[in-house]
Amino acid sequence: MASPLIQLFDHFREDLDDYNDRRERLIKASRDVTNISKKTIFLLHRIVMEESTDDHALAKHAAMRAREKLHEVQDMYAGMKHELEGDRFWRHQRQVSPGLQEYIEALSFAHYLDHGNLITFEQVEETLRDSNGVLYFPLVVSDYLLGLSDLTGELMRFAISGIARRGGRAKANQVCAFVRSCKSDFERMTPYIRELSKKQAITTQSLEKIEDAAYAIAVRGSEYDLPQDMLDDIVTQTISTFGSHGDMKGRSRRRDDETDDEYHPDL
Amino acid sequence: MDPQDLENINALLDRDVELREKIKDQVTELDKKTRTMVGVLNKIHSTPSDSIPVLIDSVRPILLSCQEITSSLASLVPENQFWRWKDMWSNSMRTAVFVASLIEYLSTGALIPLSRVAEILGIKEEWKDRVAVPVEDYLHGLISLVNELSRLAVNAVTMGNFEEPIRISIFVKDLFAGFSMLNLKNDVLRRRFDSLKYDIKKIEEVVYDVSLRKLAPLPKVVPP
Repeated sequence: MASPLIQLFDHFREDLDDYNDRRERLIKASRDVTNISKKTIFLLHRIVMEESTDDHALAKHAAMRAREKLHEVQDMYAGMKHELEGDRFWRHQRQVSPGLQEYIEALSFAHYLDHGNLITFEQVEETLRDSNGVLYFPLVVSDYLLGLSDLTGELMRFAISGIARRGGRAKANQVCAFVRSCKSDFERMTPYIRELSKKQAITTQSLEKIEDAAYAIAVRGSEYDLPQDMLDDIVTQTISTFGSHGDMKGRSRRRDDETDDEYHPDL
Repeated sequence: MDPQDLENINALLDRDVELREKIKDQVTELDKKTRTMVGVLNKIHSTPSDSIPVLIDSVRPILLSCQEITSSLASLVPENQFWRWKDMWSNSMRTAVFVASLIEYLSTGALIPLSRVAEILGIKEEWKDRVAVPVEDYLHGLISLVNELSRLAVNAVTMGNFEEPIRISIFVKDLFAGFSMLNLKNDVLRRRFDSLKYDIKKIEEVVYDVSLRKLAPLPKVVPP
């Protein structure tokens, strides 16, 4: 015979189990989202390094392919919608965040390649709506900013691995200016968001790497009184005589830098 | 970043900070109240049982006055954001649960149900996406109750009340059986639950001492 107290705790057990099970499901889903997003980022890096005469078209093509891939994430979020309804979202926000930030990083990278600017908060939200325009869950400013903060690291890789390409130096300078302005925009927000100051430090490192690369190019370029186009031609010719493996260096570097954005499961 | 977007985001962040400040003010008030009550209730360890009702009566109005705070919190917290802000007041809320459960035990000897705690604190069902007493906080409050009762078992004997430890023992064992039914994950609640066995041991020792010396009638649960 169950006493009233046992009945009471039976009810609590259901409540706690329900919460823990959902928590586990969301952690798993978040990991899958992270995985797809990381692959998308690699995909972007790969495509923009392909041989092409028109880098602009290549970037557009990369962005399109990435968006297709990110549909998988959007479908997953659509499936998670009911798990995050009402007050549940904030109860599980910590489980959703890691994957979501990775997704925003991938999405913003694709957006940058396509448009050359930063994806807005509303534009991210647009990708998280169902066919009726209802958000799968509320987008939190901190996730948006932390996702963007990771973008700067990807842009650094993009700029440096592409620096030997035709127009790569001009592009590196563009990226450099862009990352610099991101960094200054985020600065005011760091007191509000705990993890952002740590990420700002990483952004600073990335920025320095691009700056150093741009510096080296400027110094060496000054030794030859030739226009950028001609320098590009000389470099391209030299590379082509060695076979077209100009991207190998960029790839190994990318792997070295991987450690800074490992997935940290919520404890 | 687009200047308009930048402005919007900064506005959002400022709004959250402002809200946090307002909630903090309320939590400070709640904290003051719960600390006062815990201070007064500490006297149960030195108050003879016939004076306990007077002591409890002095705490009840303070407990009821927490209703003002829960209602302010309910008006501050935005829709669906209970879990976003609740960590700010969890500790005070758990203490309030503890106080309510101790008062209930001292006056009726029974376990206070969760719904009754919410009622005493003036927390309405329709606020549940903004202010509520979640199961976890209720259970934390009950563990504090067991901690307190294990002390009371000792001190009651010192004051010459030999039956209290036996009442406490039965009550706490029941509660422990309830907790044992839960699948707790490795968190603070789990650790606090694990420490309950020391409280139970302490209470058992008092019961043993009292029974052995025939200071109290044998409890009904012990087979003859």
